[in-house]
Amino acid sequence: MINPGIELKENIIRYTIIGAATISSLLLLAMLLFILRESWPIWSQIGISAFLSGSSWKPLNSPPQIGILSMIVSTLWVAGGALLIATPLGFGCAIFLAEFAPSSLAAVLRPVVNMLTGIPSVVFGFLGAAILVRFFEVKFDLSSGESLFAASIILAIMVIPFIVANSEAALRSVASEYRHAGIALGVSRQYLTMRILVPLARKGMLGALVLAFGRAMGETMAVLMLAGNTLRLPGSWFDKGEPLPALIALELGSSIPGSLHYQALFAAGLVLVLMVIAVNLCVNLLLKRIQKEV
Amino acid sequence: MKQTMRDLLLMTWFWASGLLILMILLAIIIYLTGRGGTFISSEFILESPRGFPLGTEGGIFPAIKGTLWLILLALVISIVPGLLTAMYLSEYGRSGRLADFINLLVQSMAGVPSIITGLFVYALGVVTLGWGISLLAGGVALAIMVFPVIVVSSRNALQAVDENYRLVANSLGVAKSYTLFRIILPRAAPGILAGILLALGYAAGATAPIMVTAAAIIASSSGALFEPVMALPYHLYILFIEHISLNHAYATALVLVGLVLFLNILALSLNSLQERLNRQ
Repeated sequence: MINPGIELKENIIRYTIIGAATISSLLLLAMLLFILRESWPIWSQIGISAFLSGSSWKPLNSPPQIGILSMIVSTLWVAGGALLIATPLGFGCAIFLAEFAPSSLAAVLRPVVNMLTGIPSVVFGFLGAAILVRFFEVKFDLSSGESLFAASIILAIMVIPFIVANSEAALRSVASEYRHAGIALGVSRQYLTMRILVPLARKGMLGALVLAFGRAMGETMAVLMLAGNTLRLPGSWFDKGEPLPALIALELGSSIPGSLHYQALFAAGLVLVLMVIAVNLCVNLLLKRIQKEV
Repeated sequence: MKQTMRDLLLMTWFWASGLLILMILLAIIIYLTGRGGTFISSEFILESPRGFPLGTEGGIFPAIKGTLWLILLALVISIVPGLLTAMYLSEYGRSGRLADFINLLVQSMAGVPSIITGLFVYALGVVTLGWGISLLAGGVALAIMVFPVIVVSSRNALQAVDENYRLVANSLGVAKSYTLFRIILPRAAPGILAGILLALGYAAGATAPIMVTAAAIIASSSGALFEPVMALPYHLYILFIEHISLNHAYATALVLVGLVLFLNILALSLNSLQERLNRQ
């Protein structure tokens, strides 16, 4: 630089931007540390294994019983179940969009999938509770139709757009040589898709599933309104349960700050967020490996 | 013969999943419009909830106002850090170690469940700093939630600007900040704006973070920072869960979905404007 004034100004701008970016990104670590601090007495007094494996949640009893196994199991049931429902539909729709949909239909379907991500989760929860749960009650003559299964169905609708968008991107990123070679050899489009394109895109598609799993685990409103909110250990997909986000949302406001109950909710939050971050890091590693291979 | 049979089954699967997803969205919109539409009137939009229990009569005006306050505050708090982080990632950091690390953090932040953001702001703002259940706490929680959305969309918009602008400006000896603010930023403006609108829509629909930090069953939503506010998603939740009024719940859901989809469609059209701009 010729003019020292300009150089100074450039440096100020550069370091302001670097500083702001660093500080605001470190917020995530600050959040984790703060939640860890708030929940510390749980880890030191009750212990990690007792907290994770205890299936009784009675924080107000004396002595209090604090274990979140039921909620962890509920969380895994609803999220796993949602994936079970969403995977065939999501993959089917992604393959449809990437390979088979007439362009006029794709031009409608893609924004529709996009719009599904925009509908707030409380609306999904409300519609699920008002329509789906009512339907179960009438159809199967139940006193209350809420269950982990009902929550899974609604969660599936919520995560399908993510599966579709990410898997379609993975399918489209397969080099066009494979397509040309397949077509030149005269194999059917279906054979080409299932035997060549999908295997080549499988890591990206798997990444889409894992990401959807993380989303489903952390979703609050739909499970709060649909899973039934009972603290018992769920025995099957069709039982009621209370996943971790619902537990926190329901009890945080009524817990006394500084009490064991309050600290236990932060410990539950820490467990949830670490589960979700672990899932996301898996995806990241998976995608890094793909980039290297390609 | 077996081959064609299998191909037929596969095609059925692909078409069925595509059409089913199309139908789900159409069903949601049509059903919401049908059930909620008949209860939407100027009274419903412009009056406060009345009746006993509260919400059986009257309207949702304070909830609309509260939601607008919340998303405005979230935007005011998150926009500067979000844009600066995006500028760092796209212009200054590029592929350095720090940029990789920040990218990873931002990506992880996008995955953090919104209830966890609420939990954090509850402990820090509501309890420790003594804000109480308030508009400020809700705005901060939503700001943290939309921060990664703003970063990622602005970063992508900036990165998509033709590399030649940077090369030419650099070779002409134009200062980097001048290039960024006068050349790159204006060309990425529609994309960045689209990201901001998406973030606003996302914040407007978020329930979990505000139900523990900001929302009240009834409030005037005057915009005072340390007062609780009403908000559309929380109002919908209460109307349904407390069995107050199913009809008003449908109408509230319709207003909320309408607001969010309006913001999303605006964002989509800005994004396609950006794509046309990039192709020029």
